Amino acid sequence: MPRRLLASALLALALALTGLLAVGHGQSLTGEYKIGVLEPLTGPLAFEGKRHLEGYEIMRDMINERGGVMGRKLVFAVGDATDPTAAASEANRLITREGVKILTGTYSSTLCGAASEAAARHNVIYWESSCVDPRFTRRGLKTVFRTEIDGTGFGWYNIEFVAKHLAPRFGLKPNQLKIAFLSEDSSYGQGVTEAARQRAKGEFGMQEVAAEYYAFASTNDFTPIIVKLKQLNPDVVHHIARGNDAVLFWRQSREQSFLFKALVHAYGSPDFGKALGAEGNGPFALLEPGPGFRLEALRPEGQRLEREFRETVQKKTGSYPLGGHQLAAGGLWVLKVVLDQARTDELDKFRATVMAMDLPVGSLINGWGVKFAENGQNANERVQHYMLQWQGGQLVTVWPEEFSTLRAKWIPLGSWDQRK
Amino acid sequence: MDPARLLGPAQIDALAQLGVSTILLGGIYALIAVGLTLIFGIMRVVNFAHGEFLMLGMYLAFWSFTLYGLDPYFVLFVSIPLFFLVGLLTYALVMRGVITASHNAQIFTTVGLSTALQNVALVAWTGDFRFVRPWHSSVVLRIAGTAFNLAQVVAFAIAVALTVALFAFMKWTHTGRVMRATAQDRDAATLMGIATDRVYRLTWAIGIACVGAAGVLVAPLYSVYPTAGLQFVLLSYVVVVLGGLGDMVGALLGSLIVAAVEVVGSYFFGTAWKEVLYFVLFIAVLVFRPAGLFGQRGAEMLGA
Amino acid sequence: MRGVLARHWGALVLFGLTALTPLVVKDAFFLDSLVLILIWGALSAAWNLAGGYAGQVSLGHSAFFGIGAYSAALLATRWQQSPWLGMLLGVLVSVAAGAVIGYLSNRLRGPYFALSTIAFSQVLLIVASRWRGFTQGSEGIPVPFRPGFWTLGLGHVAWVYVALGLALVHYGVQVYFERSRVGYQLAGVREDEDAAEALGIASRKLRVFAVTLSAALTSVCGAFWAQYVGFVDPFYVFSVDLSIRFALNTIIGGVGTALGPFLGSILITSLETYLRATFAGVKTGFTGIYLIIYGCVLILVVRFVPEGLAGLAARLRAGVARSRERATDHAHA
Repeated sequence: MPRRLLASALLALALALTGLLAVGHGQSLTGEYKIGVLEPLTGPLAFEGKRHLEGYEIMRDMINERGGVMGRKLVFAVGDATDPTAAASEANRLITREGVKILTGTYSSTLCGAASEAAARHNVIYWESSCVDPRFTRRGLKTVFRTEIDGTGFGWYNIEFVAKHLAPRFGLKPNQLKIAFLSEDSSYGQGVTEAARQRAKGEFGMQEVAAEYYAFASTNDFTPIIVKLKQLNPDVVHHIARGNDAVLFWRQSREQSFLFKALVHAYGSPDFGKALGAEGNGPFALLEPGPGFRLEALRPEGQRLEREFRETVQKKTGSYPLGGHQLAAGGLWVLKVVLDQARTDELDKFRATVMAMDLPVGSLINGWGVKFAENGQNANERVQHYMLQWQGGQLVTVWPEEFSTLRAKWIPLGSWDQRK
Repeated sequence: MDPARLLGPAQIDALAQLGVSTILLGGIYALIAVGLTLIFGIMRVVNFAHGEFLMLGMYLAFWSFTLYGLDPYFVLFVSIPLFFLVGLLTYALVMRGVITASHNAQIFTTVGLSTALQNVALVAWTGDFRFVRPWHSSVVLRIAGTAFNLAQVVAFAIAVALTVALFAFMKWTHTGRVMRATAQDRDAATLMGIATDRVYRLTWAIGIACVGAAGVLVAPLYSVYPTAGLQFVLLSYVVVVLGGLGDMVGALLGSLIVAAVEVVGSYFFGTAWKEVLYFVLFIAVLVFRPAGLFGQRGAEMLGA
Repeated sequence: MRGVLARHWGALVLFGLTALTPLVVKDAFFLDSLVLILIWGALSAAWNLAGGYAGQVSLGHSAFFGIGAYSAALLATRWQQSPWLGMLLGVLVSVAAGAVIGYLSNRLRGPYFALSTIAFSQVLLIVASRWRGFTQGSEGIPVPFRPGFWTLGLGHVAWVYVALGLALVHYGVQVYFERSRVGYQLAGVREDEDAAEALGIASRKLRVFAVTLSAALTSVCGAFWAQYVGFVDPFYVFSVDLSIRFALNTIIGGVGTALGPFLGSILITSLETYLRATFAGVKTGFTGIYLIIYGCVLILVVRFVPEGLAGLAARLRAGVARSRERATDHAHA
C-alpha cells in the first residue's frame, strides 16, 4: 500500500511539473495580433476585474469590426492576477508562453505594480487602463503607460466640484466650508482621500473637521462615526466607499438623521441604486459618463464611437456601460489608435508615437482626449471626468454642465424625506 | 472633546445612541459566538471553520430570498434543523476522526474545512457581494432620540433568547448535564457509561445549527460574500475567550464588552484603530486571564 | 558519507535537478515558477521549525514575512540601501517579534497560541496599512528594480540559483534541527514536556529559540520575495491566507521532516500555477478549485497520512529495508 501511494504521489508531482512545461500556445497566427490582458478574475477583486475584462472584450470586438489593429485581428491572451505574486507570475507567462509584446490591465493598484515590474524586466510595454496608484508612472520605467488619471486626479476633481460648483450654491465661500473625509482604507481609498484633503486644505482653505478611515471588510456599523460627525456638523461629506459600506453609511445616516448639505462618494456600482432606490437620491460620484450624457458635446468622431460603444454594451449586457467597462474600453481604444499610427510594437517607435499624440477632449470614448507626459501618464485635463448623481436609483451625469442634459438636484440636500 | 460640552442634550443623545448601538451590536456578536463557545467549551476544539458556517447561513438566506422570495425570518426556522443536519454530517465526515487527536491535528482539520468551504462558495457563487433586502430591512425604530434598525433588534432578541435557552438546556436538562460532565472529564464520563462520541456529535451539531441560524439572521444587515465569515470569526474568538469556555452567559457579556470596545474605541480614537484595540485586548486576556473574565481559572489548561 | 547520501537522497535529487534545470530549460515562465516553488518551500520550511519541530502551530507567520518584505522595501526606497541590509534589519525586527511570540508560546497552549498569532499578524497589517507616513499605508510600496547582485536586481536564471541557495539554507537548518542535540531536546519537549523538564531541559528557552529562528528565516524569505515580485501590499503580505499556506505546504508534504515543506510546495505551487494558466479567461471560476482540493487534502492528510508525502517515502524505505532483512533472515534460516 505505501509503495503504491508513494508511486502515485511521485507521479502526481511529475505531472504537475510537466504541466507547467506544457502550458502555452505561442504567438499569433498570421492575420492576428495578440495582446495580454491581466485582470483579477478570482479572489476578492474579481467582481470589478471581470467587469473590466468584459469591457475589453466588447471593445476588442468593436475594434475588429473596424479593421482590427495594424490591419490584423485583435486577440487576447488572458491572465488571472489574483494577488501580487500571481500578477507577476501571469505576466511572465503571457510574455514568455503567449509571446505578447503588450500587456494591458489591471484594475487594482497593488496588482499593476507587480505586473508592470515583471513586464519591465522583459522590456514589454505595459498599457494600464485603470489602476490609480500615483507612483505607477513615477518609477522611471520607459515601458509603462497609463490612459486613466491617477488617484490624485480623482481627489483633485472631487474638490474642484465641491469648491467651484457646490459651495456657491450653498452661499458659502470654499474657505467657509466644513468638510469631513471618510474612507475605506484600501490603496484606492487612501490615495484619493489624501489627494482630496491636500487640495481642500492647501488650495481652498476648507475646514477639515474629520478624516476617518475604516476597514471595508470588517465594518459592520457606522453609528459611532455618524454620532461623532453629527456633533462636528460638516457641510460636505467626502466618502470613498468600496462596496456595501456605501449603502450602509447612507442608510445609517438616514436612521440617525445625520444631515449634511452634500455627499460626494466614489461609489458607482448599481447595487447602491438597487438597494436603496429613491431613498438613495443625492450622493455625487466622480465617474465615467452615465445617462444624460450629451453626446453632442463631443467631437464628431468621438460621438460616433461613444454611440456605438453604448449600443454594443447595452446589447451585450442589457445595461448602461459601467465604470469598469468604460475604463477598459477607453484604454484599449487609445491603444488601437497608437498602434495604427505607429504600425509597430517596437518600444522606441511606440513611445515616440505615444508622446507625439495630441487629441483634444471629446475625441475618443468617454469623451477623452490624449496627451501623454514623459513618464507615460495621460494628462488630467485630457481625461475628462464627470460628476454623476444618484437620482431615482440611477446614476446620471450632471457635471460639467456642457456635457449633460440633466442637472444636479437637491443642492443643498434637505431633510431626508424631502428628496424626491 | 470639549469638556464644557460634555453633558448637553446633544451629548446625552449621542451617548444614548452609542449605548443602543453597543447593545445591538453585542447581540449580533453573541449570536455568532454562542455556537462557538459551546463547541469550544465542551469539545475543547477551536473551530477555525466557524465563520464559514456563518457564511453558508448567509448564502442560504440570500438564495432563498432571491430564488423563492422567502423572508429570512421564515428561513430561520428551516435553517436550524438544516444546519443541525449539516453539523451531523460534518461531524461524521470530518470531526469524529480528530476528536481524540492532538490539538494541532484539530487545528489543521478545521483550517482545511474552512479553506474548502470558503472556496466552494467562491467557485459556486463567485466573489460578488450579494444583498438580502426584504421589505423590513429599512424599518427604523425610534425611541427617545435614538434610532435603531429593526433587523438589529430582532437579531438581539433572538441572541438573548438563544443564549437563555442554551443556558437552561445545559443547566437543567439531563442531556445538558451529560454534556457538561463530558466536558469536565472525558474519561470519567466514559466510565460512567456516557457515550462521549454521541455527546460530541450533539454538541457539534447544536453549535453549527446556532451559527447557521445566526448567518440567516445577519444576512439582511451585511453583505454576503465567500469570505464574509472572516470578518466575524476573529471577533467571535475574542468574545469566547473573554467570556470563558462554554459559558453561555459569559459569551453574552463578552459580546457586549467587545461591542463596547468597538463602539467607544471608534468614537474616541477613530475607526482606523478599533481592530487594534480588540486584538490587543484579545492577546492581553489570553496572556493574563486565559480562562476569561468570568470563567474558571486554569480552565485553559484543561484538555491540553 | 554513504549514510548521509542515503538519508538525503530525496533532497539531492530535487535540488540537484533544480540546479541543472536552467542549463536545459530556457523558458522564463518555467524558471519563474521554479523560483516561486523554492521561495514558498523555504517559507514553509521556516514555518516547520516552529510548527513541526517545536510543535508550536502558528497561523500568523505572515507577520514575519511582512516584516522582512517591508524592511527590504523601505530600505530600498526611503534610504536607497541594498535589500541585503534590509534583510538584516528585517531579521533583527523579526527576532524581536519572534521573541514576543515565543513568550506567548510558553504561556498559551495549542489553539490559543494559534489564535494569538493570527491576532498578532492582523495588528501588524493594520499598523502597516494605516501608518502612511512611514509605510505609505494601504498603497503599499513599489520596490525599485536596479540591476546588480547587491541590489538583487537579477535575471530569471540568477534568481533560480539565489532561490535555490535560500532553499538549501532552510533545508540545512531543518536537518540541523533533526540531527543536533538542540533538535533532540526540542523533540523531547514537543512530545512530553514534563518528562523533558524532569531531565533538565530548558523547555521554555528552547521554544523561544525555535520560534525566533523560524521568525528570522521567514523574514529573510520575505525580503527576497519583495525584491523578486517588486511590490509590497500590506493586505497581501500580512494576510491570514499566506500564513495558512505556509502551514498547508508543510503538512501535506510532511510536517517535522526536512523535505516535507519542499514536497508540499512543489505540489501545491505547480498545481496552482497550472490551473490558473489553464483556466484564466476560460472558466475562471474553476481556478479556485485547487483550494477546495487542498482544504480536503489537508483534512485527509491530517487524518490518514499524518506524516505527509515525505513520511510515505520514509515508510517505503523502511519497508524496503524490512523486506531485505527478512530475505536475509530466510537465507540464513
